[in-house]
Amino acid sequence: MRRALPFFGLFGAALLLPLFSNDYWAVIGARAAVYWILVGGLNLVVGYGGQLAIGYVALLTLGAYTSAVLVAKFGVDPFVSYGAAGLVGAVAGVVVGLPALRLRTFYFAMTTLGFATIVTQVALAWQSVTGGGIGIGGPELPKPFDSPWGFYLFALALAAFVTWLSSNVAQSRFGRALVAVRDAEVAAEAVGISKPHLLTTVFLFAGACAGVAGGLFATLQSYITPEAFSFDLSVTFFIAILVGGRGSILGPLIGNIILTLLPEFAAPLVAWSTFLYAALLLGIVLAMPGGIAAMIDFKNRRPLASNRAILPNPALISGHGTARGDIVLKNVVLAFGGVRAIDGLDMTIRPGEVHGLIGPNGSGKTTTLNVISGYYAPQEGEAFLGASPLPHGAPRARAALGIARTFQTPRLIGEASVLENVMIGATIEGNASFVESVFSLPRHHRDEKHLTAKAMQALATVGLERLAEVRADRLQHSELRFMEIARALILNPAFILLDEPAAGLSGDEIKRLGELIKAMAAQGIGVLLVEHHADLIFDICDHVTVLNLGKELASGSPADIRAHKEVVSAYLGG
Amino acid sequence: MLQAILAAGIAVGATYALIGITYNLMFSASRVMSFTAGQLGMAGGVLGALFIGRMGFPVIPGMILALAGCAIIGLVTEFVAVRPVLGALDQHLYVLSTLGLALMIQQFTAIEWSTEPQPFPRLIGIGEGGPFDEKFWLPVVACAATVGGLEYLYRRTLVGRAFLAIAEDNFAARALGLPERNLRMASYALAGVVGGLAGFASGELLLAFFANGAMLNFLGFVPVALGGLGNNRGALIGGLALGLFQQAANFLVGGVFASVAVFTVFIVVLLVAPQGLFGAPPSRRV
Amino acid sequence: MPISAAEPLLSVSGLTAGYGKIAVLHGIDLIIRPGEIVALLGPNGAGKTTLLSAVSGLLPWGGQARFAGQDLAGVSPREAARRGLVHVIEGHRVFTQLSVNDNLLLAGYDLPARERASRVEEALSYFPEIAAKRLDKGGALSGGQQQMLAVAQGLVRRPKLLMLDEPSAGLSPVLVDRVLSVAAALRDAGTAVLLVEQLIEKALGLADRVYAMAQGRIVLEADTTEPNLPHRLEQAYFGHDAVPEPGFSRIS
Repeated sequence: MRRALPFFGLFGAALLLPLFSNDYWAVIGARAAVYWILVGGLNLVVGYGGQLAIGYVALLTLGAYTSAVLVAKFGVDPFVSYGAAGLVGAVAGVVVGLPALRLRTFYFAMTTLGFATIVTQVALAWQSVTGGGIGIGGPELPKPFDSPWGFYLFALALAAFVTWLSSNVAQSRFGRALVAVRDAEVAAEAVGISKPHLLTTVFLFAGACAGVAGGLFATLQSYITPEAFSFDLSVTFFIAILVGGRGSILGPLIGNIILTLLPEFAAPLVAWSTFLYAALLLGIVLAMPGGIAAMIDFKNRRPLASNRAILPNPALISGHGTARGDIVLKNVVLAFGGVRAIDGLDMTIRPGEVHGLIGPNGSGKTTTLNVISGYYAPQEGEAFLGASPLPHGAPRARAALGIARTFQTPRLIGEASVLENVMIGATIEGNASFVESVFSLPRHHRDEKHLTAKAMQALATVGLERLAEVRADRLQHSELRFMEIARALILNPAFILLDEPAAGLSGDEIKRLGELIKAMAAQGIGVLLVEHHADLIFDICDHVTVLNLGKELASGSPADIRAHKEVVSAYLGG
Repeated sequence: MLQAILAAGIAVGATYALIGITYNLMFSASRVMSFTAGQLGMAGGVLGALFIGRMGFPVIPGMILALAGCAIIGLVTEFVAVRPVLGALDQHLYVLSTLGLALMIQQFTAIEWSTEPQPFPRLIGIGEGGPFDEKFWLPVVACAATVGGLEYLYRRTLVGRAFLAIAEDNFAARALGLPERNLRMASYALAGVVGGLAGFASGELLLAFFANGAMLNFLGFVPVALGGLGNNRGALIGGLALGLFQQAANFLVGGVFASVAVFTVFIVVLLVAPQGLFGAPPSRRV
Repeated sequence: MPISAAEPLLSVSGLTAGYGKIAVLHGIDLIIRPGEIVALLGPNGAGKTTLLSAVSGLLPWGGQARFAGQDLAGVSPREAARRGLVHVIEGHRVFTQLSVNDNLLLAGYDLPARERASRVEEALSYFPEIAAKRLDKGGALSGGQQQMLAVAQGLVRRPKLLMLDEPSAGLSPVLVDRVLSVAAALRDAGTAVLLVEQLIEKALGLADRVYAMAQGRIVLEADTTEPNLPHRLEQAYFGHDAVPEPGFSRIS
């Protein structure tokens, strides 16, 4: 509830605006509201999803012309025309957005920019429908929305509605998944997040918002020509979000208000406004990447206790998911270029066992882990879970099979809280659909309650519960390692794959990590442990496999391995 | 008509190719795609018109001044928009920082120069009006000279080989003791000159117009995207093909649909081959 | 500045380094004297490559380090190479698009132009195998030849100290001996060599002294002539319960 206070403050103040200002301000206020309807949706794409869509003015244009043409040429009801504009916007949003699934950031930015140019040119050339350069009248609303203040309040209500919708998305598993795709795409895949589904949904939503905003924009302008949809406008939307700060609703809302109002207060600078916005963008990127949101994030300014220790509570590890048998690798071969990273490997990981995997650099340890977790498809051989083969090259499918993992370098979502980072791990357990989350329906609340409780339990297990609300990028390296383990444990996995979890940990922390891992196995979880710390491996493993040049050099109990002469020399050299 | 299509197509194609090479020069030195590439082309035209047309410098000194101005813009790009974000390339902040700088350059020009296209002076005065008018072949000459010059640089000089070295393996080049930062700055200055030359040589064709920056940004990027990042040969072939395709579509179906056609082809090719037609596959992620 | 025989060529004390938040080296003390071969051993992730990168200026670091009588604080890889401290990084990362000759010329980028060609010849004289291929592209060489080229690049600078990071990785036994024999030849010519090596017997056979690292610390320093060295190395890595024997200098 406290989070909603600033929004009530802003919209409350906006409601009071008619009491002490003139019609001119009604138009400015309505403009800010209409822009926000677009920016509020775009914020999920840019701020949360990290997709650099710089040409969103194209969707505004499409929405505006859809609405204006339907009303002027076909006599459609203006409100219905807004709906149609939203529909067209949603479809176009997906069309413009889809390249993001395939293209890298700069490419995607360019395609949206190109699309914006094309739409304006078509609007200019298609005179029979759009009126070309002469333009077309915008839809006129019936009473009481035909007055400046009437329209203002209508737009304000819609803006408030969009704010509510977008913050519902942001605080759902979909919002967290968007940020995960932005900051830690590989980890997002490992927990079962489907980037194509997620982005398509969000592009639909943002496109619909932009389309409706376009319809309202046509009404606001009362007459539209292609010139009204300059690229500068697009840049303003985009910059409002970045100035506001990524991963925030309030920040971009404030950014949007400031950028809309600024030219009114600094009349001599109007000609320079785009220049100033651009300078602002450059300044923000270089000096304050967090934007306004980081500036007003007082909670994360408070210093953290400097000598905090991680004290896991292994007793809290709860029952694991039902294992469907052992993970079995049979004669797996995987080569990169000419180099055989894995060269005919057989291995069995059993539930309730800690299986250590050691070997010198380049012996294929992490590659083996990546085959099991689905990032690489073996060229020969097969990986099984129980009797059924593990699907190749499908990391997303692993979470549903109860296989969780951590990474050699922690893949954190830096700007999200520790709690949210852990909740990401159980994204696939959510039941509410996107629509249910958008409208904050009961199933969405049940999901949130369930995931929060599980995440707190996982955090308590690894000993980080007191840091739950802290932004993850403020944590120390060792804490991030334990956070990743919590993210894996929240899934109640049948198997957990740990990639050098002890790297960078202190001696005490390694000891506690060892106890935690032993407790996992005691609860029936199968653990694959890739590690360099020989003492940890020999302390806690039930079974050790030694790799060299992609082949098994030795396999057996820790005692067998310690006595193995070849192993000792290979390992020492490594 | 064929003659007109060929003349105009090769001329604009050579310009796009030069902007593509500008992108590549910056990319090779820093792994950064910069939105200032097209603005350099725009600046070459505007500065040329300023020095020669308005201030009355002779052609050669005017050209040198214009290109020097563009070299400075290239250096500013490196210093302001690229160097501060090099440490976090994976966050793609350079997309935003170079976009910010590019917009500043564009808006500054719009306000201080003009928002309308301004005439570019006749440089030599050959082939008045016909398909052999200098405005058609000057960009081609500039493009040929640039490609030849770069070829000489890369094959015959140690500095050129050092450019290739940092492009291939920046870390190994640093470990070897190469002055990586100086080489990067030199690359950006060179990119400035090449981009400026694109705009200067095509000035009579495209005029001195602030909005050329955004247009060249996109159309100069198309050959890079199709040819593969950092591949100058791809940019050259792609640029010429794009110019011919665009002008042919222009003459045959009209300007708007030419733009739509270019955009469509661009998207389709990219979706089919995201690395470009001559590009390398992506590296391992995990 | 002339260096007396007593003064070490490289002296490092309390050196710390890491990547971002991850501290890898926790206070390294190490010296190398002129003209000796020192082997640096240790398991994966012990911090050997990090140590080399910090000393050569590729990574930021803390603590003290002096080379040939001068402070190394804030020195770039370029400046380090000028002073005669050359680092051949792991993975034989030569420039595949450039010829062997050009690869070597680039290593002499900072040398006066007229000296470059003769320095290249000098470096190639250690490796007749690749001298014959000087016009071939780096990418056309075999892995072993690329490794020789990488070492030759280091030699172009006539280093006082050559740091070789896993020069034998991925090479056949014959080639390993070939590359390592150059280290011996360099020692005879007065160049010091710091060798990170995974083939422990080869390293011990070649080096004068050995340092072993584990988990970012030096855990053992010894002359290679001392008895029972392999066993002590094993203890240093595997057992936190290992009891130091007499004559076993254990730092950390």
